Amino acid sequence: MTEPVLEVRGVAKRYGSVVALRSAELTVAPGEIHALLGANGAGKSTLVKIMAGVLPADEGELLVDGRPLRPRRPSDAFRAGVATVFQDPTFIPDLTVAENLRLAGIDRRRFSSWLPQLGLAELDLGALVKELPLPLLRLLDLARALAHEPRLLVLDEITAALPGDQAELVFEAMTRHRDAGGAVLFITHRLREVLRMCDRATVLRDGRTVARLKPSEGDESALVEPMLGETVARAATEAEAEAEAAPANPAAARVATPDAPIALEARELRVRGRLNGVTLRLHAGEIVGLVALEGQGQDRLFDVLAGDRPADSGEILVAGEPVRPRSPYDMVRRGVVLVPADRLMALLPQQSLRVNLASALYNRVSRWFRLAPDEASRVTETVRRLDIDTRAARQVRRLSGGNQQKVAIGRWLTAGFRTLLCFDPTRGIDIRTKEQIYGLLRELAADGAAVLYYTSELAEVPLVCDRVLVMYGGAIVHELPAASADEPTLLNAAHGLQEAST
Amino acid sequence: MTTDPSAGAGGGLPESTASGVATQPTAPRRLDPTLQVVRRYAWPIAVWLLLGAMILWYSTLIPQFTDFQVTSIAKNSLPAVYLALAQGVIVIAGGVDLGAGALMVLANAVSANLMEGQPLWMVTLIAIGVVLGAAALNGFVGYVIAVSGIPDIVVTLATLFIFTGIALIVLPTPGGGTNGGLRYVFTGAETGVGTNYWPSIAMIAIPTALLAIWLGRTRSGLAIYALGSDENAAHLSGVNIRRTKITSYAVGGGFAGLAGVALTAIANSGDPRFDNAVNGTLNSVAAVVLGGIILGGGMGSVVGAAGAGIVFFTLSPILTAMGVDPNTGQVVRGVVIVAVMVVAGLLQWWRRRKQ
Repeated sequence: MTEPVLEVRGVAKRYGSVVALRSAELTVAPGEIHALLGANGAGKSTLVKIMAGVLPADEGELLVDGRPLRPRRPSDAFRAGVATVFQDPTFIPDLTVAENLRLAGIDRRRFSSWLPQLGLAELDLGALVKELPLPLLRLLDLARALAHEPRLLVLDEITAALPGDQAELVFEAMTRHRDAGGAVLFITHRLREVLRMCDRATVLRDGRTVARLKPSEGDESALVEPMLGETVARAATEAEAEAEAAPANPAAARVATPDAPIALEARELRVRGRLNGVTLRLHAGEIVGLVALEGQGQDRLFDVLAGDRPADSGEILVAGEPVRPRSPYDMVRRGVVLVPADRLMALLPQQSLRVNLASALYNRVSRWFRLAPDEASRVTETVRRLDIDTRAARQVRRLSGGNQQKVAIGRWLTAGFRTLLCFDPTRGIDIRTKEQIYGLLRELAADGAAVLYYTSELAEVPLVCDRVLVMYGGAIVHELPAASADEPTLLNAAHGLQEAST
Repeated sequence: MTTDPSAGAGGGLPESTASGVATQPTAPRRLDPTLQVVRRYAWPIAVWLLLGAMILWYSTLIPQFTDFQVTSIAKNSLPAVYLALAQGVIVIAGGVDLGAGALMVLANAVSANLMEGQPLWMVTLIAIGVVLGAAALNGFVGYVIAVSGIPDIVVTLATLFIFTGIALIVLPTPGGGTNGGLRYVFTGAETGVGTNYWPSIAMIAIPTALLAIWLGRTRSGLAIYALGSDENAAHLSGVNIRRTKITSYAVGGGFAGLAGVALTAIANSGDPRFDNAVNGTLNSVAAVVLGGIILGGGMGSVVGAAGAGIVFFTLSPILTAMGVDPNTGQVVRGVVIVAVMVVAGLLQWWRRRKQ
């Protein structure tokens, strides 16, 4: 057998008392695309950071082409032939693309030669990075990593922020890199991508390597099982299967309640160039899904409904009463709360879990800088109800993404609300946490809350929602019951096409 | 409805799309390269135009505007320009150096003390030594900041006192001197008074240009911008954060040292007063802000800061020529800073609205 490009032996890492990696084992051979899988908090990101030289390992060793590698900073890893595309963009926003290349010591021609293959032939290297759209930055990061001509290309959740056609371009580049004898380590939550692209897979759970398998020999449940441990796996795969197979779903049990009082109503909301007359109604006790392609004004709609930005014209009514919000405070006061896309935007990252959960309470009461006893008990109740992992409770930024999301929702649970606006709350979150969030939302709706739920994963709609609105070109173009909202129907509607089926 | 092609680029929430949903995030339209440069360096260009306008205005205010006035403005603004460059580098890297003015005063005291009565070759060696020494000293300050994690503003507040204190130990009362040759280099005359403005202008232009080219064109210079713009991204791009931080302080220290040597050349003496240190620091921060460098780092050009240093200096003769009371003059300086920032903010708001 040929020598592996990368060998990870017994790598461990702890942050204070929190063990992120116990004993990671990983072998990547030349000429393969290797998936690294695991639920949130399993240690994938930590392992990637160790390989990239961002974090030092506490124990264990890395071998690249048989040579030991102890990168102390990212440049060491590049030099050893490991190029990583991180989840966060690494291009400096205030510099131009060309200056960024010079900064990283990358040959401009070698970088440019990758651009046509990534659909970026037209890119202006003199453009300031902060003026470029976010998905494009992911591709630039990839082109830069490829320009290093690495032995091992590490892609951490690169497809999460990419539209489908651009994900295809990434897949092509991965394949080409593999066929040229390089290796790719591919980290993703999308199991279909793993089945399609990867030659082998390694699964992490609780900081340990628990399985090595060949995706081609199994199906999605074969991948999920080792990720979750056995009991949870069955439930999750069923949920996945349900999500994949769309119709025939539990929505029947949750009959829409049109005669329930209207919790939140928008009439003809307009924002120049963004919103084109949005009208919608949320009834108490229902979850309304919102589906749209990227850039159809959904983010602005949420900002307007949450009171963060004004609309040029139109009306917002809370429980039948017109409101002209001047800041989110005006809406929060009336029980309309937002869980934004960027979790850390909603949280106090350096504060403890309990302070974060209580943060929405400080609006009303804070006595002597401490929580009053009844508030403290409400926080405890929220932690229990959300099943938040409290191992890293002293600083919320150390929690995994899924747990952070739970905190973002949880602080409103502590404070109480009537209408919840959720913007893509399950992005980049593992299946188990997703399931918990679905369950939580359904519970909240059963208790009489109204929920507006924007999601970028169409398969979620029938799982969570009672009915679904499709947004296109700044307006609601379509409404249908969740039961008939299968992916093809939604996709067609989201493209502004006439309904494919009825 | 037309959808904005770059939707999701600037503000707004980052979005993702499910697999299968296809949208093409197009790159912004390609701009004419010249236009791109003008757009990016609009602020420094505006600062230098403002300076030109002010000097023109000044020439109409006084009965005779001759080479003497030009020389006077050029040579006397040298220390302010160097301090603006020093502060500029450090602020671009995301720091701030309250001790810059004190380092200038220290360099002034040391050079005036050592240079008195020395031949030109010795004076030259001392000048180089003082500049390098100041760079090393401030590099150490940068090291302390990088290693300890104490905020820049705290550490450099301490150096403000420390450096001025040392300067007073070196030279307890104003005094010392230098060689006519050194005076010629900075002021255009061995006596320090004259009408030959070329040496002073060259001493403004050459160091400013060298620093700007290093910052904008070399890897180590771009690393300074990267550090101030996004430390995490810089780290992930392979920038050595600690070394870059130290470099920014060392280069800044070198320019503060040069400011001290320039003071010695202009005044032919050393004057280690605490006032000089504090004024130097505060004016350098003002020049950096007025010059378009964003406090917090990552953006702006030292060319603008240098121009703003001269603008600031030129205000005093203009106000004197207008017969404004010196105390009112201080108020005017403050108003200028705020007014410029407000105008800039309005312009930005207007541009964003137009989009």
